[in-house]
Amino acid sequence: MEKLSSDDSNRNVHGLSHGGKILLFTCKRDPAVSVRERSGLTFRSFYFEREGNAFLNATEGATVISRKPSAHVDIVTCKCAVDVQKRVKTAFVLVTKMSEKGSSFKYSLLALRSSHRLEPCIEFKLPYQMKGKVSILQGPTVMWSHDNSVSYTSPEAEGVRKIPIQMSKCLFGELPIQKGQLFALGLSEPLLANHSPTLGYLCEGGQAFDGSLVLPHPYICITQCMRVLTADRVDDVLRCTVVAATSNQQLVLFENGTVKDTCEVPFGQAEDIQMADTGRNGCLFVVSFNQGHVCAVWKETFQMASCWSDVDSAHVDDFLGCGTEQILLIFRNNGISSGPLEKFIITDLCGISYSCGQGSEAPKASLPPQENSLLTLQALESRLQSGLIVLQELEREVRVKDRVLQQSIQVLTDVLSGRETVLSQPEQEGLVALWDSDEESNDETPDDKLHETPALSSRPKIDKLWHRITEEQLVVGLILTADSAIPASGVSLSLLTEPGQNSTPAVIQTRSQVFWLPARGPSTPTLSSPSPGFAFSEPAAKRSRQHIASDDFSAGRLAVTAVTKLAPLLTSGCVKCRAMLHYAEKAEAVFPGSGPTTAVLHCGEVSLDIRNLCQKPLLQNPQIKTDEVREDLLSLLTVLDNWVLRIDSPDYSLGDIDGWIKRREGFKKIDVSPEYLLLDSPGSSAPMLLRWHQINPFQGDLSIHSSQLQMLQFLDSMLSYLPDSCFIQPVKRARSQSTAQKLACALEKEVLSLREGLSSLLCVKDEEERKERRAGHGETPDSGSAEDLVRCCREAWQQNVEKSRLRLNPVVDAGRYREMVQSISQVKMDSDLAALCQLNQS
Amino acid sequence: MIQSASLLESWTQENNQLASGCKLSPHVFLLLCLSLSGIPPHLDRAQLELSVVYNTCVCFTAQSQFDEAELLLTQTAQRLLQIAGDDPGTSDPSVLWRTALKSVTGTALHRRVLSLLCLQWGVWLAKSRLTAVQDFQEMSLLEAQSGAVWNDCRAETKEKISNIPILVLDPRRLVDLLKICTAIVQGAERLTEGWSVLSALQAASASPAPRALIAYTHLLSGSCLAHMNRPQMALQCYRKALETDPRCVCALYQSALIYSRLENSQAEIQALRILHSMLLLPSTTEPAMAAGRLLSPSLFLCSQSLSSLLSVPSALSVLHSLALKCVIHSRVSEGVECYLDLLAALQSEDQHGVRVHAVVSTLPKLPRLYLEAGAALLMARRPADCMALCDEVIGSTLDLLPEKVLLEDPVARRVAGSGEVTEEAENGLVRLLWTAAAYLLQGHCYSQLKDWKQAVTHYTRCINLLVKVHYKDTDKDPEQGVDLCVLQRLKGLSLAGRGISFAQIDRLREALRDLQLSRQAHPEGVSARRWYGEVLWRLDRKQEAAACWEQTWSNPIPSLSEALPVYAQELQSGPLLDSAELHQKLQELGPT
Repeated sequence: MEKLSSDDSNRNVHGLSHGGKILLFTCKRDPAVSVRERSGLTFRSFYFEREGNAFLNATEGATVISRKPSAHVDIVTCKCAVDVQKRVKTAFVLVTKMSEKGSSFKYSLLALRSSHRLEPCIEFKLPYQMKGKVSILQGPTVMWSHDNSVSYTSPEAEGVRKIPIQMSKCLFGELPIQKGQLFALGLSEPLLANHSPTLGYLCEGGQAFDGSLVLPHPYICITQCMRVLTADRVDDVLRCTVVAATSNQQLVLFENGTVKDTCEVPFGQAEDIQMADTGRNGCLFVVSFNQGHVCAVWKETFQMASCWSDVDSAHVDDFLGCGTEQILLIFRNNGISSGPLEKFIITDLCGISYSCGQGSEAPKASLPPQENSLLTLQALESRLQSGLIVLQELEREVRVKDRVLQQSIQVLTDVLSGRETVLSQPEQEGLVALWDSDEESNDETPDDKLHETPALSSRPKIDKLWHRITEEQLVVGLILTADSAIPASGVSLSLLTEPGQNSTPAVIQTRSQVFWLPARGPSTPTLSSPSPGFAFSEPAAKRSRQHIASDDFSAGRLAVTAVTKLAPLLTSGCVKCRAMLHYAEKAEAVFPGSGPTTAVLHCGEVSLDIRNLCQKPLLQNPQIKTDEVREDLLSLLTVLDNWVLRIDSPDYSLGDIDGWIKRREGFKKIDVSPEYLLLDSPGSSAPMLLRWHQINPFQGDLSIHSSQLQMLQFLDSMLSYLPDSCFIQPVKRARSQSTAQKLACALEKEVLSLREGLSSLLCVKDEEERKERRAGHGETPDSGSAEDLVRCCREAWQQNVEKSRLRLNPVVDAGRYREMVQSISQVKMDSDLAALCQLNQS
Repeated sequence: MIQSASLLESWTQENNQLASGCKLSPHVFLLLCLSLSGIPPHLDRAQLELSVVYNTCVCFTAQSQFDEAELLLTQTAQRLLQIAGDDPGTSDPSVLWRTALKSVTGTALHRRVLSLLCLQWGVWLAKSRLTAVQDFQEMSLLEAQSGAVWNDCRAETKEKISNIPILVLDPRRLVDLLKICTAIVQGAERLTEGWSVLSALQAASASPAPRALIAYTHLLSGSCLAHMNRPQMALQCYRKALETDPRCVCALYQSALIYSRLENSQAEIQALRILHSMLLLPSTTEPAMAAGRLLSPSLFLCSQSLSSLLSVPSALSVLHSLALKCVIHSRVSEGVECYLDLLAALQSEDQHGVRVHAVVSTLPKLPRLYLEAGAALLMARRPADCMALCDEVIGSTLDLLPEKVLLEDPVARRVAGSGEVTEEAENGLVRLLWTAAAYLLQGHCYSQLKDWKQAVTHYTRCINLLVKVHYKDTDKDPEQGVDLCVLQRLKGLSLAGRGISFAQIDRLREALRDLQLSRQAHPEGVSARRWYGEVLWRLDRKQEAAACWEQTWSNPIPSLSEALPVYAQELQSGPLLDSAELHQKLQELGPT
């Protein structure tokens, strides 16, 4: 198994462990011929004696390989394998005889049948010399790779066989299934489409299989030796555990073709992996490397247990006869010494340890797995830290308690001594005051009052009336001149039909909105006051001056829009609408103390013709700065659904949201009003308007004008940019609108049910009366005399008087009345509830 | 590639399981990392490998294992170059990364390589290798590249959730964090450079970052402005820092320093008071910066100048300076309260035997605190309390007083090198001065109580102590200068006090002698001179008295200063001479 030779020595000693003994094979030197020529094979077996702490010679034997004295005999390898025919584990040794010409090589596998006798088992000839890896596997089978192919031979195989598949990078081994399955692995060449690049081949069955079940593809090239630990066939699929040593100095454990565990080993060029079962302490992988390094790795933890250098050969067997296996490491014999077994260690790394000839350089104390101690250290450290934290918390608590105690004692002593406790101002308020925090109070709050302050009760002057048609909706807009100072709160626009078509002009159902256009120049429509931005470190005076300049609403203009559905309007070919402006007059000018009165102003007509309605999309060119574009923008703002969302991230600043939106594809700045960004990609159905208003680095408002789906899509993509810990909430205004709507509905219902209830009650009475009257009238014409007639007439008249008196003060049925009152009170209760909700909201 | 894909898939799944697990440690990832790096690098696996390396390094960084992280990063860069077939032939990380980045430009790996590069940046930053950081900033066009590339990161993850290896930390967050930390550290290092630093800090303050870091940028802007001699703007910045993060107490402390520089004592006192009450709040003492976050910003903020800027004295030190400021700026009753609080706090600490505040060393020595408190009590007309404090001082120091203190010539001392002896002498001098000051204060107390005999006794004790100090009045050593000055003042004050007391009990000759000596010891003493005049007047040497008084009109009693201990200054506690009366007397004399 292991070459027990150093190149400089002449001896060619190979050793193997078999049945608790060490067997050493040596090519016998014939003194008659030159040093290099050998012809015989001797073997010696040794057993370990505990008392003497040494290996003692048990048996010896020899056999002749070649009669010809000139034959060059060499041991290729030796190993224990199962002899299938005899069903025993037998030691085999493979020897080679080179022919005189050197053109052919004769190999023979010899079996150690008893302790004395070597018998030839297989003999074969090869035209080449085995130079790659050679293994003696169960059967016995000799398997070797040569020139990118794997060949094998066994007593059953009758001759040398070559695996019929062309592979590069061959590996071979045996699967520990009941009947040993020899296999070879390699990269298929050429690569087949839809087929694993790793090919496996079972020698016995002669069938190919997917090699990546044993070793994943990337590992084939770098694996230097491997060992299949377990293998099983489940539903005709191979399941196996494999350990392999790679050229990247790793030992890798595979389970069913996937990496299970990895262990770094300090050496490359592994030559052999053995497994030692140390009993209760688990199994060890013993990996031998080139240049005499040996490494032991625990199977359970897959951590390195120990490593040795300068090792001649490593064997695993129960040398002590104690029932578990040990590792025998035979060290190189550098000095002049007699026997081959002078320096060795027998150990199982957990209690058993015998060594000889190691002296001072005795077994390196088995390194405790580094990882383990590291983990222990970490665990200890974390415990220490948690302990420290607990301690600190306790200390902090004690400090707080002390302070509270001190303060209470102070107060108590003050009370006892009659002194008045002096609390500083901030303490009294429970506040932490900044020294100059009152310098500039909330001068940045949006001041709605400013909008309403202009107190001139002059009639508003109309700058322009325009209309747009978009997606079956008509938008009528009105821009008031800058000097018409009316409060924005009461302004709305309504549309009336032209009186020419119907007898009276009817109000068309519209939705009205108000916008501010702050200045004449580059105007920005805003729903609320614009923010003065996040000015940095400017002196307060300068900042507030700028604030006034930007919020100068007396110079601003007001835009009012109304939107209505187009289709109902266009029942006739040509429609003319009157636009009526409703506004609240400043009441104090007329009657001081009374509420604002509303006024109506007719501002012009809009005429539509069904034959030439132009449906062109709005805001196609946001880079242009014209009035038309501004009107387009206002129309869009009116038509699109609007959401205002408060984005609040309490402990992570939001960063440059505006920049992020601008960087997204398709968003363009609208030059007329740079606060708004327009998304008008050709794919999406409707345009989308966005406005970001940053309140502080941690808060901002996002207004979205779009369809609901688009809004959700946009929010979804925005979430990936926003910090994880942020909240998005609809701004209160949106919600209060909905409760206001609820209240309005409830009130409407109340009014309706009241009216209906009353009218039904009275109508029923009328019906009865009418019936009665009809019956009474039927009687009167029969009577003849004038007196009777007069009497009848008088009676009828009196009845009529009575009835009309009753109608004025109607008497209704009590039961019905109760019913009605009950239903109305129910409705009233609902509307009260809605009103309460509204109150809570506002 | 069915089977090799399954290997990739299983690794990806393992990574994702680890990354979404609750306990993240580098070791769990390291194993996976090992498996991946155990096979030859290949383009198919590079995405996963880079992600696993990223996760591992993030965990390493979170545990401050920067060396391990850097090693892994360098190895990964080398493996990347193996894929590309490049070999820069050097192990210099910046060259390696430059080449690696170039080799993956335009591929899907680019983003991953960039995020690893960011981790390298973090390691450099954490190790304070600022030149490397600067090189990095110049080298990578990170802003332009990353912004666009990382935007669609989330979208991609949603598409094929199983195939994409999960990252434990969004690289964008990492970049955000590193950017602002770099700005903060660089700002702190180059605080004196003016506008360029300021603009960088302002840009950083608008970037997405945790609240505490935003507050730091404002704080640093403030410090920068303070260096540029713009204290008002600096104050604005400090205020902004506090508004941003109320736990940023260092901003409050810096504001107090600015107010002190501006000599706005009322504002300074207010700031100190708030600072003290904030330091007592349990939550403010440590910034809870990284709750629930993987990487704490403090990992990257390890610059020396930054930590000195962020450090705040202990609550007790703040309380002491608050007390002193109050006393000096004639808010005596507040000062007294603060001193009593301070002494109580110190006493409770002593009783518990635990020094909760490890920074007590910045406080003056206990006797000095007692004396300062005593002086404050005296000024607040609480002589009994003051005397009790002085008794404490005398009781603890009297036994340790040296018989005689000889202060050598500093030059000679340096030559002799007898360090221990002089140190002992100095300690002796300090103790002696404390005791003397305690006697002086007690003398003041008795004179306030009009117990002139006792006052004379205590002043005399003080004088007797002070004359034990012998020194050569050569050029003054700055270290000893303060002590000598205190010595002279104590001498002058005690003599003056005794003289005044003598004058009160009509022992005018002794009074005259003491006052004369006092004027010699401490020529600036105003009350000594006035009383000298008074005594002369009573001795009927009216012309001399008038001349003496005339001199004193020009300089009033100086207000208290911070340069000297309070107790070594004129406290105006003793009997005062009515200046109107003096004027009258002078006028009487005038015509004659």
